[in-house]
Amino acid sequence: MDSAYLLGVFDKEETMLSAFRKMKEQEIEIEDVFTPYPVHEILENHGRKSRITIVGWLYGFFATIGVLAFLFYTAVIDWPLNYGGKPSNAFPSFLVITIILVIFSITILSLFTFSWRANLWPSNKKPIYHPGATDDKFVIMVNKEKADAARASSVMKETGAIEVIEK
Amino acid sequence: MYNTEVRGPLVLGNKSLSQITADITSPLYTRPKFWWIVGLGISSLMMLLGFWSIYVTISQGIGTWGVNNTVGWGWAIINFVWWIGIGHAGTAFSIFLLILRQEWRSSINRAAEAMTVVAVGCAAIFPALHMGRIWDFFFIFPYPNTRGPLWVNYNSPLFWDFIAISAYLLISASFWFLGMIPDFATIRDNTTSKVKKAVYGFFALGWRGSVGEWKRYEGLSYILGGIAAVLVVSVHSIVSTDFAVSVEPGWHTTIFPPYFVVGAIFSGFAMVMTLMIILRKVYKLQDYVTDSHLDKVAKILIFVSLIMGTAYLTEIFLAWYSGNEYEIFTFFHNRITGEFTKQFWAMFICNAIIPQLMWFKKIRSNLTIVFIISILINVGMWFERFNIVVTSLSNNYLPSTWATYTPTFVEISMYLGTIGIFIFGVLLFMKYIPMIAISEVKAVNKYQLKKK
Repeated sequence: MDSAYLLGVFDKEETMLSAFRKMKEQEIEIEDVFTPYPVHEILENHGRKSRITIVGWLYGFFATIGVLAFLFYTAVIDWPLNYGGKPSNAFPSFLVITIILVIFSITILSLFTFSWRANLWPSNKKPIYHPGATDDKFVIMVNKEKADAARASSVMKETGAIEVIEK
Repeated sequence: MYNTEVRGPLVLGNKSLSQITADITSPLYTRPKFWWIVGLGISSLMMLLGFWSIYVTISQGIGTWGVNNTVGWGWAIINFVWWIGIGHAGTAFSIFLLILRQEWRSSINRAAEAMTVVAVGCAAIFPALHMGRIWDFFFIFPYPNTRGPLWVNYNSPLFWDFIAISAYLLISASFWFLGMIPDFATIRDNTTSKVKKAVYGFFALGWRGSVGEWKRYEGLSYILGGIAAVLVVSVHSIVSTDFAVSVEPGWHTTIFPPYFVVGAIFSGFAMVMTLMIILRKVYKLQDYVTDSHLDKVAKILIFVSLIMGTAYLTEIFLAWYSGNEYEIFTFFHNRITGEFTKQFWAMFICNAIIPQLMWFKKIRSNLTIVFIISILINVGMWFERFNIVVTSLSNNYLPSTWATYTPTFVEISMYLGTIGIFIFGVLLFMKYIPMIAISEVKAVNKYQLKKK
């Protein structure tokens, strides 16, 4: 079997959404949906989860502890210096630098997490199933092994797919 | 879901999705226009002048500048604060408006973010060179060095500043780049040129618009947006503490952080206005950056201008109310009247009075006047920084140390050089990167399509 996937190409968001709803109803497993812009109904109902916001919060939590520990170690334990008689552990004035360094850490860590989890990096060789999906086409992809291809194809055609391709 | 019916259509002309792609990416496929090449030439010359002044500063030292023992901060710090302020536009636009779910931002945010990245880069040049010995720049990093190990002073706003600006550059560049990934993929899939396919394909990072990608993309946008909103307020607050923690008349005041943040947003929005009026005219993007977009920016400018005026008056009032003779001298005999009268009134009129003309719809909808006002605001904001830096330093407590300050040719060249870098960067951006976030405009456009 050459082609593993069935692609339903739609030229309108509405028709694609009705196909999506129908396939959900008939419990045809949808492998992926490619859209030129985020379509929230699909992002919410497709079933794929992303925990990146939770992870981002955790990065912030641990970065705060890390930064404060670092400041305490350097300014109090390692080499306490007398700046005009201020206490070495000048906690309120450390807060500013803590906020900034935490933001710095969250940015870098969540960028790498995004790149890793969303599978995006330079000269990535992911197969592009339909080049129109970044322009004006909405593409529903079905894995033939996991779902009934014939039924999926008929649903797509019924709801107004402009073409159904096997790839 | 957010409905835009209250605001009217955000994209005019009933565009189809492929038409949006074609309209926005058209500069990529056409030969550069004559004015573009001329602009690139002029800005390159300005950049050369800037590089020459940087060379002179590094090889001969800060003595080539007009600063002296009394006025230790001259044009370098004025221009640093000015550029950082302009740089706040991108964040104000994309991030505050993203968090507030203001969909009308989507035609303007890309250009504003591009401006931010270039402006913050320009800003960073000045304090780096003002250190004097730039080859010892790494001393500012907290690293266990051979001198102790002696660490940096975490109580110093100058150190906060360094970290804040690095973080700001990183986060605004990443936010900008993140927004461009889907658009690069669009170009990759639409172009026929092999070179473009390879280059934009490289930067598209293999984007396909799948569910997993969009989901994480939105998640990351909100993470970056949330933390950058905090950052944008703290960056300019930190810049203001550079001033406010020192016991100089006119600087040592608690109004400084909010006053600086608002001023930054003011100059940033004015610069966005300047740029968008040019951009939509030369690339005929009036359907995307509509009159109503510019109208909204103008209204924000009126509001922020009122805050600025209030801040100026508060400063003057408090100087008088404190009864402190040095404060009174600085404000009443050194700014309002006296040696720096012209600069003070230039600031006051450009920032607090002229923008109020935009209360009138006739003026607000005449883009030539709005364009001139937006430039005047940035002139006024430059004078504000001049007032803060020079008037306070030149005549403070001890009359025997009083001195005046005039910039040298090297300082002026450096300023012109950064303007050159800015124009150069913006021109490259106009030609090689989609100036409007294609995927976001498509998402906004669908509301109009649905209504029909």
